Amino acid sequence: MNQADASAQEIILQARNITKLYPGLIALDDVTFSVYRGQVNVLIGENGAGKSTLMRILAGVESCDAGELLLEGRRINLGSARDASAHGISIVHQELLALTNLNIRDNVFAGRELRRAACFVNRRAEDLRANAALSRLRMPMEVATETSRLSLGCRQVVEIARALDQGARILILDEPTSALSTSEAESLFDVIADLKRAGVTIIYISHRLHELLHLGDRFTVLRSGRMVGEAARAGVDRQWIVERMSGRKEWSADAEQPVSSSKPPVLAVNGLNLLPSSGDEAAQAALHDVSFSLKEGEILGIYGLLGAGRTELLETIAGLRQMDSGEVRLNGRLLHIGSVRSALKAGILLMPEDRQRDGLFPDLSIRENMAMAATRGLFLSRGEETKRVNEIAGELHIATRNMELPITTLSGGNQQKALLARCLMCAPAVLLMDEPTRGVDVGAKAEIYTILRELAVKGLSVIFASSEIEETRALAHRVLVLCQGTISAEFTHDAFTDEDLFAAASPSVPVHLKSPLPLSNLEGSV
Amino acid sequence: MSPSAPTITVRSRATWAAARAALILLRARAILVLVLLVILFSVLAPEFFTANNLSILTKHVSITALMAVAMTFCVLTGGIDLSVGSVAGLAGMVAGYLLTQGLWFGGAAHYPPVVVVILLGLLAGLLVGVLNGWLVAHAGVAPFIATLGTLYIARGAAMLISNGKTFPELGGSAARGNMGFPAFGESSWLHIPTPVWMMLAMFAVAWVVAAKTPFGRHVYAIGGNERAARLAGIRVAQVKIVTYVFSSIGAALVGLIIAAQLESAHPATGESFELNAIAAVVLGGTSLMGGRGSVTGSLIGAFVIGVLADGLVMLGVSEFWQMVIKGIVIVVAVGLDQLQARLQARILPFLTTANTEAGR
Repeated sequence: MNQADASAQEIILQARNITKLYPGLIALDDVTFSVYRGQVNVLIGENGAGKSTLMRILAGVESCDAGELLLEGRRINLGSARDASAHGISIVHQELLALTNLNIRDNVFAGRELRRAACFVNRRAEDLRANAALSRLRMPMEVATETSRLSLGCRQVVEIARALDQGARILILDEPTSALSTSEAESLFDVIADLKRAGVTIIYISHRLHELLHLGDRFTVLRSGRMVGEAARAGVDRQWIVERMSGRKEWSADAEQPVSSSKPPVLAVNGLNLLPSSGDEAAQAALHDVSFSLKEGEILGIYGLLGAGRTELLETIAGLRQMDSGEVRLNGRLLHIGSVRSALKAGILLMPEDRQRDGLFPDLSIRENMAMAATRGLFLSRGEETKRVNEIAGELHIATRNMELPITTLSGGNQQKALLARCLMCAPAVLLMDEPTRGVDVGAKAEIYTILRELAVKGLSVIFASSEIEETRALAHRVLVLCQGTISAEFTHDAFTDEDLFAAASPSVPVHLKSPLPLSNLEGSV
Repeated sequence: MSPSAPTITVRSRATWAAARAALILLRARAILVLVLLVILFSVLAPEFFTANNLSILTKHVSITALMAVAMTFCVLTGGIDLSVGSVAGLAGMVAGYLLTQGLWFGGAAHYPPVVVVILLGLLAGLLVGVLNGWLVAHAGVAPFIATLGTLYIARGAAMLISNGKTFPELGGSAARGNMGFPAFGESSWLHIPTPVWMMLAMFAVAWVVAAKTPFGRHVYAIGGNERAARLAGIRVAQVKIVTYVFSSIGAALVGLIIAAQLESAHPATGESFELNAIAAVVLGGTSLMGGRGSVTGSLIGAFVIGVLADGLVMLGVSEFWQMVIKGIVIVVAVGLDQLQARLQARILPFLTTANTEAGR
């Protein structure tokens, strides 16, 4: 970082005094955001703090009501995303927008195809440039590969390649690691380091504090549409970020001990096998002879890398996938789980990993979304339903003015709590949660952990799958580590280090020999 | 984000109020268009707004409305039913066959009573509905294709019953003990024609199902997010099958009514009726993507189409222009629907009185 001390202080892009009004609320209130040349500029804030709005303004997707954008000291007007990329500003969205039915080359050039004789696609030139962009990212791939066959990490690289090919000098990464496994995230960090060396300015948004502290050079914190903190890396630590983000002092999020000791097992899984399959919808990783048991009131964590079979294990128990052999017993009784419904009737419910895709009914109200799984019988009982929904919303602190509003009006954390409420309304014996706090801000995360611990004390048994070490440590009474479909280790709370967990999750033959993410940087847990 | 904005400008508050008003108007657009059309035709054609004409008009509307209201559920799940016109034809032909040819067994023709004829006609529709539902829910055939297939199958079956001929004189005879079928389409009670009563009954049932039952909610849930519906333990396949059966039964009723009104069954009856029904559903604000819409909307949509058709006839507008105008109305209606969706997404978070269940 010693190479360019002078330019490190130089502001390449500044959003000055930006105000953005939405009907009835101020999304951004007089925010000034400075982006320093050749650095990783981190933008932090809870959900709804205005990060995405600010980024949409920088990327030309939205206009601001007051304020101005200065690029290298000159005022610019961005009317569209095209304008922004003409100025060298590109964004890689949180939800990857890759056109999965097209190949890598077509994705890199979608909407700006290179032409030959004015009307034909110049495929050869596109291949050359796509290859050049990918090799610049040190991720050579066959450009004719359909993107549906790529992992999420590779799709992200394709998006970055697209941005680079457009001549991006300023690259906005909006929560780039939220869908990535640890190893994929690491290679992304390498890519970012490379880009930085090549002089590309990065704006990086994430919820994961350890990543930010690992990567960031400049830190800006937004809260409720206001800028509440700005500092260089030297002046920043965990405490600094958390205080400014939440406006309160750091909380303790470590699991209180101890748990259930001699309680009988509620759920017992024996010799569960699942054959692997590929294909777009039904693709699944294999599970080999998975056996474990779960006690009453226990929170069992399942840690594993992407593709280890975490989701498959939960979905099989929940009846979404059919096991090839093995048995599941609930309170000693053998279950025949043929469908989600039969699992649900037995008292096993799954809270899915992808809220938008598998959880929410966007057209329906918060109340209807919450009551959906518990809705039975011939007629609805509106009064009783409203009463129960309000009760449970109070218990889970779901923040809304009106339960009749569409679910989409809630923040990510409250949506997640509404889905939790949906499961709880069925009075489950075992709750399965796949990535319980994905896409949820730090404050809501801590709240969900607290709720789950309280529920466990009341006797609910929980199995959750997570790809975050911090989360596993914070929440689990006991941890199973899945590696390539097999349980490779079991730890009780406090009896493992981050390195233990990571080592058990990694396949014995190292996938790559790069030095892994410095684990010392994890600095405790969120 | 702070819900209350201390420094919001007067201008933006005014635009917000305007947007709110626009949204309310857009939501009520189907009924507004209906009222405007009625006023327009009443002014232009004095004989339009008379009790007699309105009675005839409502009778015409009941045909489209029965189909449209019944089809609404399968459109709400994200499906479509193209087979309804053919099912109407098939049901009429089944009734015609039973009334004029009877059933052969024991070496003689037996003529079932009218009630049984009607039930068997409905059963024919039900079977096509089960086939549609099975194809869509279990065989995984896209609804458009599955019901396009059954459109041909049911029409072919209707033709095969009579070899393409018409069954005339469905009045029955005292000797056969099967008189009274025409009353199914032609009688009236309290000065209101029977088909209109059937339309009202169908609407009442559909409205209660949509708004007051778990089944109705499951229909909306499947249309909104099928994967989430499955994970919430909803029997997706079963719900879908029921929606197609419901749609087919509505269509079969229409076929029986038409056969009764004409006192004859023609195998081509109901050709292109599916287009009117779909148009009514869409005019009523139901999204073809599923998850959004209402049976009330479909009823109003059917009235818009009926009023437009009858009114234009009374004004002496040529049949060709009628088609052009109908097409324009449909396209504009769907355009407005998009506008509403966009506006709603923008301002709904800030309305405190919104209710997603309102007007189902």
